[in-house]
Amino acid sequence: MFAGAIALLFLAGAIALLAGRALYGDAAAGRVAVGVVLPKEDALARQMVSMISSLDSVKSLCDFQYMEEEESIEALKTGKLSAVMDMPEGLIQGIMDGSNPAVRILLPGNNWLESRIFRELTEAGAKILGASQAGIYAGNELYRMVGMEALVPELERDLNQIFLSYSLPREDYFRHLKVSATGDVEVPVFYGISAYVLFLLLLAIPVSGYLLPFSPVMRRKLTLSGAGSGSRVWGKIFSLGSLFFLMTLVAILAAKKMPGLSELLNPGTVGGASRGIFPAAAACLALLLVCLAAASLVVVIYQAAGSLLGGIMLLFLTVTAQHFLAGGFLPAVFLPRTLQRLVPAMPSAVLMEGVQMILARDWSFAAPGKLMGLLLVCSLLAILLERREG
Amino acid sequence: MLEVTGLCKTYKAHQVLSEVSLTAAPGDCVGIVGSNGCGKTTFLSILAGAVRADRGSIRFHGREAVGHGKVFYEEAAYVPQENPLIEELSVKDNLSLWYRGSRTGMEEDLKTGAAAMLGIREMLKKPVSTLSGGMKKRLSIACALSNHASVLILDEPGAALDLECKAEIRRYLEKYREKGGTILLTSHELPELSLCTVMYVLKEGKLRKIENKLGEAELIREFQKQEEKH
Repeated sequence: MFAGAIALLFLAGAIALLAGRALYGDAAAGRVAVGVVLPKEDALARQMVSMISSLDSVKSLCDFQYMEEEESIEALKTGKLSAVMDMPEGLIQGIMDGSNPAVRILLPGNNWLESRIFRELTEAGAKILGASQAGIYAGNELYRMVGMEALVPELERDLNQIFLSYSLPREDYFRHLKVSATGDVEVPVFYGISAYVLFLLLLAIPVSGYLLPFSPVMRRKLTLSGAGSGSRVWGKIFSLGSLFFLMTLVAILAAKKMPGLSELLNPGTVGGASRGIFPAAAACLALLLVCLAAASLVVVIYQAAGSLLGGIMLLFLTVTAQHFLAGGFLPAVFLPRTLQRLVPAMPSAVLMEGVQMILARDWSFAAPGKLMGLLLVCSLLAILLERREG
Repeated sequence: MLEVTGLCKTYKAHQVLSEVSLTAAPGDCVGIVGSNGCGKTTFLSILAGAVRADRGSIRFHGREAVGHGKVFYEEAAYVPQENPLIEELSVKDNLSLWYRGSRTGMEEDLKTGAAAMLGIREMLKKPVSTLSGGMKKRLSIACALSNHASVLILDEPGAALDLECKAEIRRYLEKYREKGGTILLTSHELPELSLCTVMYVLKEGKLRKIENKLGEAELIREFQKQEEKH
């Protein structure tokens, strides 16, 4: 049965990759459509945007469209735009005098790849602007010190033009910062996490016989022994969760012996991490929570299926489909936008977020909270099904 | 002493038990007969505490059991028709799983108690999947009696067993009764019913006492008699 599970795993991967190509095709290489809202009668701002949009680094990635604010927000909502730049009044003057009025950047909540790229571009642009302002102010001060104050406006104008044109070459920018569809983790780590979650969920197949609903006589005897529907379901979840946990520990120990994998598993490889007893204990607890949440999902699937073959089929289909929708096979940014809305609701997404938190040692309440939510929802559903059977 | 009074049970619109009452003294063997689906298993499950009655009272030696799971737990031993055993585990593991007592108590039972009388010690290491139907039934009874209950409730104990196994089970039940235990059983087989000291027919939710040691034809007549009455 274990060999069958492995075969199903490969089959799932193949299906997901083919589905991904069919769904998205070459559209992932799309350009970033940016809406620009300019203050009325601000010729300087339009001139500045025009200058920025004509820079090689920007021109090769972005299409700027001038529009009204309402129109731009509507276009952002419908997915026609990946970002909106709302320019304030007196922007140029503000940059010159150092008051720096903020440019409002609107991004969709779905975190599409194009939006992520544009966000990185604007953040980098803001840093470059800050550095260039410092350079200009240094020039101003130097002119004042040597008594050439009258030439300051001319200096500012020239420096602005020269500095900006030299500071935005694309190749310099991408040499230092990589924008990845897999979010905050490297591609190998992302797929490692995804494969682990998929493996965990399908690991239940070899023990399917123990996950089926209890026979009426077993249920009756367990009731007599004081094990109600809640205890029966939690017993299964804890047993399966413990099995998942033990298998994970075995897998970690095995991976530690492998040169390539051991580096990935070291704290600090993913994000900043600290060593010590607390992070190790927290990681163990979080891993146990991941295993229990995964076990609860499996238990509810078998409870709903009711039979061995039905359970295996339902587990395989449910796990594969929801893992695909969670962005486990292809990162969520490559999914159609309508499907992207489903990503946070997929159990695999919750489990992957938990594993990512453990690897990054980036402790927060959000990921454990979602894992607890998944565990509670699945166990309550399983208890309801167990009661209905009883 | 078992006293059942005014027991009622309804599944959706179907009344399975209606004001059922009976009394069984220590040493009694009470047989419940009736056609398939008449509610015998439901009745026994209620007496064992596995299913809740809608109304009525069940008293073991004067202790009210309805609403007090501990009384059922201490006083009743229930052997369902199908075996509640985990096939992949050994006999000892199954006994440990269902045993209601300490490990030393279990060892004692295996030497001198119900488990010893049922011959469980000889098959302790065997996986349950390799046991015959009779051995499994003996193990089920041993598991059920681990609380040393005074009332043994058996749902068709001889179903699907060969003649030798049925005879073994009957011999054990005789011994249990002679030691002052109370037995309640359902069966469709006359040799098993021959153990009974009191007989009842369950039909359309009503329990009616009938003459003991009846033959097949007479029992069928008793069933029909009740049908005519209704």
